Amino acid sequence: MKKPPRALRVLGVVAAGLLLVSGCNANPSQSSSNQTTAATKGGDLTILTSSTQLNFDPAKSQSLAITSLGLVLRRLTSWETSPNAPTKVIPDLATDTGRPSDGGRTWTYTLKDGLKYDDGTPITSEDIKYGVERSFAPQLSGGLSYHKSLLVGGSSYGGPYDGKQLSSIETPNDKTIVFHLNAPYGDWPWIVSMGAFAPVPKAKDTNPATYGNDPAASGPYKIDKLQQGVSLTMSRNPNWSQATDQARTAGPDTITFKMGQDETVQAQALISDSGANATSFGADFVPAAQLAQAQGNPQVGNRLVTSADGALNFLSMNTQRGALKNVKVRQAFNYAIDRKAFITASGGSVSGDPATTLITPGIPGRQVYDDYPAGDDGDVAKAKQLLSESGQSNLKLTLLVSNQPIALAQAQAIQQALQRIGGVTITLRPLDDNALSSAVTQGNGDYDLYLGSWQPDFPSANGNIQPLFDSSQIGNGGYNTSRYDNAKVDALIKQATGEVDQTKAEALWAEADKAIMADAPVVPLSYAKNSFLHGSKVQNFFIGEFPAYPNYLRVTVSR
Amino acid sequence: MTFARFVLSRLAGMVIVLLAIALISYLIFYLLPANPAQLSCGRPCTPDRLAQAEAFMGLDKPWWAQFLTFLGGFFVGRTFGVGGTAIHCDAPCFGYSFRLSESVTQLIAERAPVTFSIAIGAAVLWLLLGVSTGVASALRRGSLIDRSLTTLSVAGVSAPAYLVGLLGIFLFGFTLNMVPVGGYVPLTQSPVQWLWHLILPWIVLALLNAAIYTRLTRGEMLEVMGEDYIRTARAKGLREGRVVGRHALRNVLIPVATVFGLDLGSLLGGAILTEKVFAMQGLGSLLLDAVGNLDLQVLVGVTLFSAFLIILANVVVDISYGLLDPRVKAGG
Repeated sequence: MKKPPRALRVLGVVAAGLLLVSGCNANPSQSSSNQTTAATKGGDLTILTSSTQLNFDPAKSQSLAITSLGLVLRRLTSWETSPNAPTKVIPDLATDTGRPSDGGRTWTYTLKDGLKYDDGTPITSEDIKYGVERSFAPQLSGGLSYHKSLLVGGSSYGGPYDGKQLSSIETPNDKTIVFHLNAPYGDWPWIVSMGAFAPVPKAKDTNPATYGNDPAASGPYKIDKLQQGVSLTMSRNPNWSQATDQARTAGPDTITFKMGQDETVQAQALISDSGANATSFGADFVPAAQLAQAQGNPQVGNRLVTSADGALNFLSMNTQRGALKNVKVRQAFNYAIDRKAFITASGGSVSGDPATTLITPGIPGRQVYDDYPAGDDGDVAKAKQLLSESGQSNLKLTLLVSNQPIALAQAQAIQQALQRIGGVTITLRPLDDNALSSAVTQGNGDYDLYLGSWQPDFPSANGNIQPLFDSSQIGNGGYNTSRYDNAKVDALIKQATGEVDQTKAEALWAEADKAIMADAPVVPLSYAKNSFLHGSKVQNFFIGEFPAYPNYLRVTVSR
Repeated sequence: MTFARFVLSRLAGMVIVLLAIALISYLIFYLLPANPAQLSCGRPCTPDRLAQAEAFMGLDKPWWAQFLTFLGGFFVGRTFGVGGTAIHCDAPCFGYSFRLSESVTQLIAERAPVTFSIAIGAAVLWLLLGVSTGVASALRRGSLIDRSLTTLSVAGVSAPAYLVGLLGIFLFGFTLNMVPVGGYVPLTQSPVQWLWHLILPWIVLALLNAAIYTRLTRGEMLEVMGEDYIRTARAKGLREGRVVGRHALRNVLIPVATVFGLDLGSLLGGAILTEKVFAMQGLGSLLLDAVGNLDLQVLVGVTLFSAFLIILANVVVDISYGLLDPRVKAGG
């Protein structure tokens, strides 16, 4: 079958959306829109996802602490999210979020009493160590890997399957685990909330490739049946205890993931709210046509949950290339940008708000400032003045961008805004997402501009700043796409990374944010918002200040 | 040419074509400016971890060495990695998906029944629909029926499958609640549910593809009906139904069978958009995911399997010529 032109496919989505504008609201709904109520026990929850693969191997998963993996697998720490407060790291399997020593190079955890897997066997510190060790095995790579370069000896360790252990993880007894790091790392409590820090009993890891199909459950649910690409069903873990778990409420009796659901069909099913759709929610962002449809109908709109400001959309300027080496050129671009046009191209105000800082809203320690105040649509006169002062003229620059329709519209808004300065010609170069990622993270940086987006993997300013602006992250798979290299900023990042006192660390990160923006390696464009739909019987469906995703661990179903 | 030589030459041709397709798939893949190991490296991906992922996946070798290893896998199997973390893929090994932790052979075996169910049912439906409307249209040339069917067939040929699929789901699934909005139930699990879930995809695909057959059948039919032997048959006093069914349609079906063989073969290799919109995980969605995730092993394996089906369909069509037209057998 021939694939129709993209324009037709887009038209199809829009037409289909318009067709049913008035057809699917037979059942009025009661909303729980981004609000929390008392947890109801019981019922069957369905999660619709376009994903065709759900990976429950803790080593391979990049799942956030509050989404799918967290229903089955607990880690040393977890996240407490709230629509009205910053996300906090909280103890999960451990009694606290970690006790630092040796200036933040060593972290010690003690497991809570009475922790058991679904088969009734006790969870031990040795299982946590084994879980972390197996994440180093090449066949199990692919998950969040911050710990691999932080743990002493991690860079040369290849996993436990050849009988070797990682000596920087000690388990003096069944309930204590100690991690030795290469350097002080104040955000280690967030790192141990990642999948690799879920316990894995060695006896059950007989075939590492398929362990994720039926992992030893430490969370409130265990996997009953997994058909990749089709569905996954989970039911209660009889050996989980609410008394030991402050991150999860375990409302529904069963949870079913329906995979491979087309985003448009998925949104339309939730809008219809019929049958099992009333007890379902969508794991994907609501497509533009259905978003407009939902917003236009109060009975559907109150089941639409839009996040607060989230991921940072930004324009990277390759600071090691031609005229862009000149800070005044980069500052001129910061003044010239038309954020209003960019947000309109992104889908309007529901898609995001204007950005001026690198640390995103909802991240502790963020300070609001704007080094380049230019109003909603830019200050072209100031940009012209700075470009003139830079001595640069007749700039011909290439902008790398994803070939997705919205990204192209966003890039065109940037192109038009920057070309208003005069003497600047921007050529768009659309690429497939994988090719785009390789082009900016590998090789020697053969590009001028890049339109990117970044959401930290954990709610610390470290996650906003270090991956994007530390000089060690240039090329070789790193995301420093502006190829920004400033020794003073590197030192500041190192100091903030090693600071165990969170208040002091936050102040250092805010300082780094401003120091970087003074050099203007990027233009912050917008903080993206995500919108999700849920059925009328789904409760406690809320999105915290971070991340811009619902907290699966607390969703319940009304009777 | 004896039948045995005919079969042997076709098989040899099939092997050469499949080899060429495998080679081209590899070459295209390696010309892409993207590194599949990076997707398996995790985040953040340090240079040493990237090198480890490349070595494990065998991507640290030149493309031609990888290609030869891939071919060798058919006969002797393959092993990825070394020591306790090694993964074995027994011969005949089509490759191994690191992302899905399954051999490509196993993946194809799991997904093929879904695609085959969609394709075969839809093909039967569109053949019946297309040929019957084509004949009806030709026999009533210039009538209202002819004009209506011709217009509908133009609409059918032009409509995108994704759009028609969505409209079908919205109308029959959500609004009228007559059929499921998506998903697949294996035939072995429940024949009734299998049929129930497939009806809408079949109808959508049949409506789109029947249009081509309507036009093709109509054109061929009009030409054949003007032939001398049709006049002779009528002069002999045969009933019109027998003239059409026995003499005309048989000749019309030869080009129809050729196109049908190719269409069915390519659809068996994956009905990508239909599978996507109806949430059915067949070969098409497997291939689509493989492209998006730079899963070379799956990409080449499924492409080869699809190519094999198309070639096989062609061979079947060649053989069916003999059944449809005795002259082919006599000349053969």
